[in-house]
This record gives sequence, structure tokens and C-alpha cells, in this order.
Amino acid sequence: MSRLSGRALAIAALAALLVACGGPGATSTPSASARPPAKSGKSVSAVGRSTPVRLRIPAIGVDTPVMKLGLAADGSVQVPPIAAHDRAGWYEHSPTPGRTGPSVILGHVTVGAYGDGVFRRLGELHRGEKIVTRLENGTAAVFAVTEVRTVSKAHFPSDEVYGNVNRPELRLITCGGKRTGDGYLDNVIVFAALSSAGP
Amino acid sequence: MRRTGLSAMALACTAVLAGALPAFADGTKATPSPVPTATQAPTSAPSARPSASTAPSAVPSAAPTRAPSSGQVSVVPSGAPNTGAVPPTSDSSSTGALVGGGAAAAVVLGGGAVFLVRRRQANGA
Repeated sequence: MSRLSGRALAIAALAALLVACGGPGATSTPSASARPPAKSGKSVSAVGRSTPVRLRIPAIGVDTPVMKLGLAADGSVQVPPIAAHDRAGWYEHSPTPGRTGPSVILGHVTVGAYGDGVFRRLGELHRGEKIVTRLENGTAAVFAVTEVRTVSKAHFPSDEVYGNVNRPELRLITCGGKRTGDGYLDNVIVFAALSSAGP
Repeated sequence: MRRTGLSAMALACTAVLAGALPAFADGTKATPSPVPTATQAPTSAPSARPSASTAPSAVPSAAPTRAPSSGQVSVVPSGAPNTGAVPPTSDSSSTGALVGGGAAAAVVLGGGAVFLVRRRQANGA
């Protein structure tokens, strides 16, 4: 065998190994800030009773319609349908965004074969970043992030998410953490407090 | 000599492409994966009717099973929300890359062996 042939064979084997090693990269874990949600402040309802129709989070490129969500038959909260054009959903038994209490909006992190969900990057939010909810009555409530937390689904903090507060607050919820066969082990929860409201 | 080397390179490149591309075309599963929307439909839908992407998932049959409370959230849901449907091909893609790469390597080595045999025969003749 000539030396040239040997080199050619070695190059070919190297090319095959490069193809074999070209798998997809690992996903990063969302970071969470360590600040607890504020529990104090003035008790105000900055907007009238209405329904949120749009949600905008400039820091992570979210601008989505908002649908109404109720309760599922098993008592859990409904989630938006798995669809190509994913959207967020407002839990209709929570206060209108901008009124005193914890308003709750949910969205998917991934939507199966359709890819990323509307809240795919929710875990990238940081304290102070802006969340804008536009209501059906034409007003808008602007919130500032106070905390981003990743929690185990087995220990979901219902009291902190749904419990009473003395000012208008917002909770954005999606899934996160490790993937299992058909879902995720954790929830990512963004806590936010009202910073302004108006038309 | 140069011609021989170029021939070997062309053979190797062809083998890599031929081995890698078809291996990824349909994934590695022998059976087709089910449509993911079947198991991830809104949990309160009363029947197996596929939901339209624009229809809200709150339907009349999903009446709250809990008594309203006096809190700001009038009905507190139970459990954690399931807001993530895992893409069905996420696990098989990395496996597919390994299998495809292995197939490509096998084709390249086989082609190289054939080349060497023919080269030896040519030298011996």
C-alpha cells in the first residue's frame, strides 16, 4: 500500500468520526434570582375589572394574545392548547391584572412537535424587567419582575402563587427543569408587582 | 499517485454523505411516533374531538369542582400546571446522529478496504 493511500484512508475515517460526534447541544437550565416576592405595599386597584387580551415581555421577545383559562375536571388549572401558534392564558378565577391580588398567566415552554412555546425563555427574565398586560377595556397594566423561581412540580408553592397579597401582582407560570418522557419535572414561576397602569 | 489519492478522497466523501443523510431521514424508531396533540389536548375537553388552535380550552363541562373561596383567587387549582409538551424527536435525534455516524464510518472503511484490494491487485498484475 502506498503512503498516499494510507493518508486518504485516515482522512476518511476522521471525517466519519466527525459526523458521529455531531449531536445536538445540551439545553441550559434557567437561572433564578434569589429575591423573595414582596408582600407589602399599598393596597391599590389601578384598573377596572376586565380581561387581559395581550401580554408583552420585551426582554424575552414575547408578544402574544391571551386567552381565558378555567379549571380542568381534575381540579388543576387548564393550560392553552398544544398548537403551532402558541399563546398565553389567563386564569379567570384570579384577579384582573392591575387589580389587587395575584393575577395568574400561564404558557407553554414547548409545544411538542411544534417546537418552542410562548414562554420558552421565561426563565431568562431578571428582577426589574417589564411585563405589559393589555386589557379588554383598553387600559394596560405594567409590572416589574420581582423574582424568578424554578420549583419542583411535586412541591408547587400554591400558597405563594395563589395566596392573597395586598397589592396588584402578577404570576407567569410555565414548565422547566429536567425533561422526562412526556413532560418536565419543574415549574418556572415569575413573580411581578405592578409598576404603572393607564391607557 | 496523485490520481490515486484524489480517487480515495472522492470515495470517502461520497461514502460519508451516502451513509449520513439517509440515516437521519426518518429518525431511528422503527414505528412512527404518534401525533403529540393526541395526549396533550386541553385537559377539560369533553370528548376526543381535536381542538382548533384558536378555540379556548375552557368549555362549559369544565365547571370548577371546588367551592369558591373568599380569597383574591376565588378558586385555587390543585397541583402544578402542566405547561410543557416535550418534542417527540428530542431524544431520538442524538441517537440518530450516533447511528448515522457509525453507518457512515462503516461505509468509509468498507470502501477503503475495497480500494486497497484493487490497488494491490493492480500492483501485482
